[in-house]
Amino acid sequence: MEASEGHITTPPPPPPAPYTLPPSSYASEDIIFCIDTDSECLKEMKVGGPAGPFTRLDTMKQSILMFINAKLAINSDHRFAFCAIGKNTYWLQKDFSSRSDFAFIAFTKITELSSSDQADLTQLFRAAAHEAKKSRAQNRILRLVLLYCRSSVTPYHRWPVTEKLFTLDVMYLHDKPGPENCPQKVYDALVDTLEQVSEYEGYIFETGQGLPRIIFRHMCVLLSHPQQRCVQDDIDIPKSLTRKPPASETTTGSEVQGSSQ
Amino acid sequence: MAVDTIPPLINAQLNYLRSNAPFSIKVEQMWSGCRNPSLIDRFTLAIPFCLDYIKWDVIYNAQNPLAAPDVIFGPEDEAFHPFRGMREESLSNSKKNCLLEWNYKDPACLLTLILQLRDLYMVYQKQRVGEVDDERLKFELGTIISKEGLEMYMSSGVEKPEEVRFAVPLLGMDINKIVIGSSWRQQQKIYLQVIFPVVGKFTNKPPVPRLKLVSTPDLRAVLSVEDVRLLPWSDGMCLAEYLPTLEELLASQIKDAVTLIELRRQFIVALAPFFGRPLEADSVFCRKASFLSVSGIFTFVVHFALTLQFPKQPPLLVLQSSQHFDLRGAAIKSSSLTEYPWSPRWDVSEMAERIFDFVADECLNFRKICNESVHQQQR
Repeated sequence: MEASEGHITTPPPPPPAPYTLPPSSYASEDIIFCIDTDSECLKEMKVGGPAGPFTRLDTMKQSILMFINAKLAINSDHRFAFCAIGKNTYWLQKDFSSRSDFAFIAFTKITELSSSDQADLTQLFRAAAHEAKKSRAQNRILRLVLLYCRSSVTPYHRWPVTEKLFTLDVMYLHDKPGPENCPQKVYDALVDTLEQVSEYEGYIFETGQGLPRIIFRHMCVLLSHPQQRCVQDDIDIPKSLTRKPPASETTTGSEVQGSSQ
Repeated sequence: MAVDTIPPLINAQLNYLRSNAPFSIKVEQMWSGCRNPSLIDRFTLAIPFCLDYIKWDVIYNAQNPLAAPDVIFGPEDEAFHPFRGMREESLSNSKKNCLLEWNYKDPACLLTLILQLRDLYMVYQKQRVGEVDDERLKFELGTIISKEGLEMYMSSGVEKPEEVRFAVPLLGMDINKIVIGSSWRQQQKIYLQVIFPVVGKFTNKPPVPRLKLVSTPDLRAVLSVEDVRLLPWSDGMCLAEYLPTLEELLASQIKDAVTLIELRRQFIVALAPFFGRPLEADSVFCRKASFLSVSGIFTFVVHFALTLQFPKQPPLLVLQSSQHFDLRGAAIKSSSLTEYPWSPRWDVSEMAERIFDFVADECLNFRKICNESVHQQQR
């Protein structure tokens, strides 16, 4: 290691091991989507339709529909259920189904949008763990995908660290960091939660840019099957298909530390 | 308006049968036999037998759900009288006549009854076939009678020629073990279906039997027995000669099928340096893999489907957008893409690179189609 101009260089981390596909069976998934229905979900995105700008809630719903479409095209045996977290945690559609139209029905049950300065995830994890036992009995694995959108409310939980019964993924939508909020703190708490709770490698993505296509892109990475994932640091997708190097996407100061584009 | 319901005790028996039968028994129709038409207490079961189905009606009584059901056999089987004339001692200890000892509290009773009746039906059919006055048939039967798992069926009736159908299990090997990683719950098997017309007198030119290979359905992920070209049945051929040669052929086909699994696996792995780590790949049969790609700001999924004819047949590709939706809210997909430069003689790395080049070009067309489709919806 050479010191030059006051900088200490550290050797780069070793490249990830090349991809292999060993002949081992893998389970179909039961996936629970949990939508944050705090009033911050009504904040507007930068893009809209004829009726006006989309809200975060609109985008979360659309991204879930896109996810289900793609996931069933990958393997039609995966199934989905829906719940929401506002002041409390509540089911929108408890029975797992592989019918994508059930998502529409579940979304109609989102009635109350409330404001809360607390986000206790314990009840959510308890419900997921209960479903996970049933999934396991059917040779399936359970995954919880949390779509969270509060910029100043740091979530917490009292779930025991020894109980790793399901995989947890998080999609975090937030405002640009400023003096009135703390999205970085929220993000860090979510990262810790992932490590404490998730059975297989969980992924977390965040964005404050207000662009639906970025959320769709992150949700696409979440399509990856937990039993076939690499660690988040080694994610190499989506891979660019252009033969020339792609124009790099601009990142503004609205991104928090530790994000991946 | 009353909703059709099955009385709970009867429903428990039916659910147990559906979940625990060693082969797939179908419920064909259900109806009511009592004055209240919304109480369902009768149904038809289609039970696999000799590579076909036998259909039996199971008749419960909703007004008395504790009682054992009646079973009505098909019109061809008027001579089938299970349990009649059979003394308790002639049945093995574990197979008591469960109709006599019907325990309504045990949800397994119906399945036990059906399996017992099926075993007795096999004995009945064996007797019928044994009584056929056809020398050639008697000879053929003699050479295969000791094969474990053999089933046979005598088909006759008005305006139907008399025929005997055999389901001959092939290959003593445990196919399940040969495919590593498979989580098949049922034992996979391949059968030769042989149908002999009944002719009576021994002739110099006995009629050629109809032959067909049939496998358990799950095996189709690895091998399509319908595509195996059967050896011709030459003059003077008999099963004792035909079967060993056929089994040799099948053993080599299975070996080839397993080699092809590994080739498909290598191909999927060869795609990773170009397309990135797959979102999900079929790690057991290697028939499909999906990848996430981006072209500019257009993110989309690339689905690969590999047929059993790979590498002779190129993979089927479908692109799926993450940003464009049709009027039903479904993400827009391309049609199946199969026309692109391809040669089965390339090594897997070259196959992967060529497909990468093709998709890199094709995704620009796909993006145009997606944008146009969305534009049209907005008009």
